[in-house]
Amino acid sequence: MTQHLTEHDVRGIAEYTRIGLTAEEVVAMTADLNAIIDSLSPITEYDLDGVEPTFHPIGDLSNVMRDDVERAGFTQETALMNAPRQEDGSFLIPSILGEGGDR
Amino acid sequence: MAATFGEMSVRQIQAGLAAREFSAAEVARATLERIGAADEAVHAFLQVTEDLALAAASRVDAAAAEGRLAELGPLAGVPVGYKDNMNLTGTRTTCSSNMLRDYVSPYTATCVQRTLDAGALPIGKLNMDEFAFGSSTETSAFGPTRNPWDLGRVPGGSSGGSAAAVAAGLVPVTLGSDTGGSIRQPGSFCGIVAVKPTYGVVSRYGVVAFGSSLDQVGPFARSVEDAALALNAIAGRDELDCTSQPCDVDFTANLAEGAAGLRVGVVPAFMEAAGLTAEVRAKVEEAASALEAAGAVLVDVELPHAQAAMSAYYVLGPCEAFSNLARFDSVRYGYCDPGHADLGSQYEASRERGFGPEARRRIMLGSYLLSAGVYDTYYYPAQQVRTLITRDYLDAFEKVDVILAPVAPRTAFKFGEIGDPTEMYLSDMFTISINIAGNGGMSMPVGLGADTGMPVGVQLIAPPFRDANMLRAAAALEQVFGPAPVAPAFADGKAGE
Amino acid sequence: MRKLEEVLRDWEAVIGLEIHAELTTLNTKMFCGCKLEFGADPNTHTCPVCLGLPGALPVPNRAAIESIVLAGLATNCDIEKHSMFYRKNYMYPDMAKNFQTTQGPVAFCMRGHLDLDVDGPAAGERIDLDGLAAGESRGNVTRTEDGYVAHVGITRIHMEEDAGKMVHLGGGEGRIAGATHSLVDYNRAGTPLIELVTEPDLRTPEEARLFMQKLRQIYLAIGISDCSMEEGSLRCDGNVSLRRRGTTGLGTKTELKNMNSFKNLHDGLAYEICRQAEVLEEGGVIYQETRHWDPTAKRTIVMRVKETADDYRLFPEPDLAPYDLTDEFIEGVRAKLPELPHEKAVRYAAAFGLSAYDARHLVEHRATADFFDACMALADAGKDGAAFAKPLANLVINDVTGYVNTHDGSDGAPAGFDGVFARLTPARALELVGLVADDAISSKQAKEVFAAVIADDADPAAVVEERGMRQVSDAGAIEAVVDEVLAANPDKVEQYRGGKTGLIGFFVGQCMKKTQGQGNPKVINELLAEKLG
Repeated sequence: MTQHLTEHDVRGIAEYTRIGLTAEEVVAMTADLNAIIDSLSPITEYDLDGVEPTFHPIGDLSNVMRDDVERAGFTQETALMNAPRQEDGSFLIPSILGEGGDR
Repeated sequence: MAATFGEMSVRQIQAGLAAREFSAAEVARATLERIGAADEAVHAFLQVTEDLALAAASRVDAAAAEGRLAELGPLAGVPVGYKDNMNLTGTRTTCSSNMLRDYVSPYTATCVQRTLDAGALPIGKLNMDEFAFGSSTETSAFGPTRNPWDLGRVPGGSSGGSAAAVAAGLVPVTLGSDTGGSIRQPGSFCGIVAVKPTYGVVSRYGVVAFGSSLDQVGPFARSVEDAALALNAIAGRDELDCTSQPCDVDFTANLAEGAAGLRVGVVPAFMEAAGLTAEVRAKVEEAASALEAAGAVLVDVELPHAQAAMSAYYVLGPCEAFSNLARFDSVRYGYCDPGHADLGSQYEASRERGFGPEARRRIMLGSYLLSAGVYDTYYYPAQQVRTLITRDYLDAFEKVDVILAPVAPRTAFKFGEIGDPTEMYLSDMFTISINIAGNGGMSMPVGLGADTGMPVGVQLIAPPFRDANMLRAAAALEQVFGPAPVAPAFADGKAGE
Repeated sequence: MRKLEEVLRDWEAVIGLEIHAELTTLNTKMFCGCKLEFGADPNTHTCPVCLGLPGALPVPNRAAIESIVLAGLATNCDIEKHSMFYRKNYMYPDMAKNFQTTQGPVAFCMRGHLDLDVDGPAAGERIDLDGLAAGESRGNVTRTEDGYVAHVGITRIHMEEDAGKMVHLGGGEGRIAGATHSLVDYNRAGTPLIELVTEPDLRTPEEARLFMQKLRQIYLAIGISDCSMEEGSLRCDGNVSLRRRGTTGLGTKTELKNMNSFKNLHDGLAYEICRQAEVLEEGGVIYQETRHWDPTAKRTIVMRVKETADDYRLFPEPDLAPYDLTDEFIEGVRAKLPELPHEKAVRYAAAFGLSAYDARHLVEHRATADFFDACMALADAGKDGAAFAKPLANLVINDVTGYVNTHDGSDGAPAGFDGVFARLTPARALELVGLVADDAISSKQAKEVFAAVIADDADPAAVVEERGMRQVSDAGAIEAVVDEVLAANPDKVEQYRGGKTGLIGFFVGQCMKKTQGQGNPKVINELLAEKLG
């Protein structure tokens, strides 16, 4: 099996996708992802020179737009009905930077 | 004992309502009771929506009292269940995930709304693989659904609850969604009619997205006509979904035409595929013979790039899923791990504990495949392969009206029988290329496998927006094999004993 | 730190701008039908789409696409018929979906430009133009009589959506650093946003300021945004790097944020140029980082160091159909393109003989340009219109603009151009200018009449009549006053005749006083010269 990703890479991806992983989970995830990526190799084996990609299936759709007309939305109460935490009509989140954050 | 309402066809229920043999309220109540008694064994339902069903029933009964039953629509008085990735205002929509365990929908999906507009009684929400990642319904955070034909086996997935509820005769019609086979494969495993229409026929608005360019909603039923009636209700352009398209077809119109003159394609490479079990191959051949006997012309067609579909799918699906699932961040809704002083650790703990292992795997895989440098190795070629597969189908449909193929390589497997994710992915080997190209496909039950005794479905594949072709072929098969039976352990009101 | 003009002698600054404009004049958001409204209660303009609820799907607003095409046509861009939306993936709590829907390598508008007229002292900051004669070009600039014209390239204008707004609590002054928690409001989330990116063609803070100013005038003229820098509907980030004069390589650039006024844009860039020069001159290194301009402390501070390029996992948005704009669509938008401010200025100069300065100021605001056009249309319908142009321009540039700058409406008096022009109608403006031209009132009296027109909503002629302000031009009446003044000041007359000619102002003033300001100064001057000479 090819080593597409190291554990270091997997920790980087976990950080980017904001998924906490324990040390053991990193090991298991690295093995799983490498196995799956290996199974994707056929995609790299076709001669695709000059083949246009199809980003949207059933491709003749284009320019689908709506008129600039207001449509009833939510009340503040409905907007917040699933909020884990809220305050003063807004969604409440803990410190974005945390201690020692640099963003 | 008389047939339960769940065992009746749509037409039978509507005839009974019209003749005032029973009321819609009785249909709703009896269906809820039936689910209460029989679903413990199957675990198809995650919640029943009694109040909504009874409210809808009283509207139907009011219409019936005024003699307006016919105006209501194709599903008037029919109990319908929804895969739990479909929003319905006031119900929980969990996607079978701890992430959404307590999420209450503040709005309704277009496909669900259209069944309500057509007079349906919304009876409940159905189990699935978590966020539709799976082929067995085993990844549900709320426990698996069992196959009504053998409670020791999986119902398939990801729409396992939708398939099992119909196979157990709990409801006549359910809706599911199909990203790589998630309607057709459980349809085959549970022996019922299961339709994935062409991408764009049914609005995706309000259906929690997995792979946006692959997902499509469709119905489960035990007869082709019931499936066609449900499709009539939900199909058509929706201004809230840019990828939905106009559709003014009556899907019941040509069900009685039979197979005479129908050109049916068979893909030799599929029939010789490694992993295809003998009992499934035999059933596909039987179906081909039956169609030929009914006047169809069998034609060999090639789909030279179909074997690339699997890897294209496992690139595109995770890429789109990674992005679609980024919104589950503990801020506006969803699981929020308590007690964190900074957002970063709240994010990470909430997404670690809210998502199951398969969801985490696909999110991380998608993120990797889209990263700088890697994008050109996998994602872009996968979209080029999509072009080739689409062309393959268009070429094949120059010669035939419909293609006949296996749905899954085997019948329903036992719980825990397949543990390795890449092996599980093979369940979708015959269904995935249709999602990649976007055209329609369905599973049609043709009896039980000779070796396992479990139901086998054959796949009928239609050209883009010619979904009526496959329904016509399916109706011809139904003439030979009969409508799908309720699983024996649940027939005649039995509850799995 | 050294001063900018000194620094620019040794260093050449390379500046590019990224300018975001919210399409505030639309009714609804980019991808959903929620109302666009600034200042509403939090989370009252939301729906499944802009809250990023599971299952929601975007549908683009046609008017937003028309707006960006209009912006592209107005800035000389090529309109790309085929383009797509992409997802730019990164998790941040003000972004409901945790991806921003934006455009990919191809934007609706590509390869545009604006020409900047630079004159005054700041034109001297381009020392690389020394020795160039008027009409000669070097690089992207052409010398003019009083400065130069810079041809500034626009890389692209793309369509995207704005994020929600956050309030940071528990720290100092609402800043994110030190905050213990934050509140998120998604009313702004999904507001249509166009981002214009310039080529790194700008060389001085003044050029950057002029670019921003010209772009703002254009956006206001085409009506796509209210362009309020205070409310954040027009926002500007800058990229700056330095290189030694005479070299052509590119230095490490920093990204500058929070330049939310023309002055801040200029001063922030000027500071950053001087800071970088100091660091480099001391043998230091510039880091690729994002810096925040603090106008109070008058310095830039580090927000974030970029160690590696951001990887946003950009990919085509599968939920949105691609664009294949038709000629019909583009031409339909082009038909809505109004005369642009710089085009108007050229026309004013050519048709009415206005100076470049006057013409430029008239078109600075859409309201003043529209007013001037309305006046000239009315004048043309009557007699010799062009004669009114100069005095009208003065009225608008001096009196009207002066009034607007000093009245905020808090005293109940009319405020803003709309308030002024509701009372100073084109007909009244022509009447006022006509009274001066006919010598009926002095230009000084005209100022009083202007004030009365605005305060009392009255016709200028009526004000003049009511206040008995008619200017006295009758030579006989004025001669009597002049004689009186000269007789009363024999010593001063003596001194004047002895060579102290500066006393003429004293005599004029005395005559004006005696006529209660109504004496025609021209006639007074003539008579004084005659009698003292």
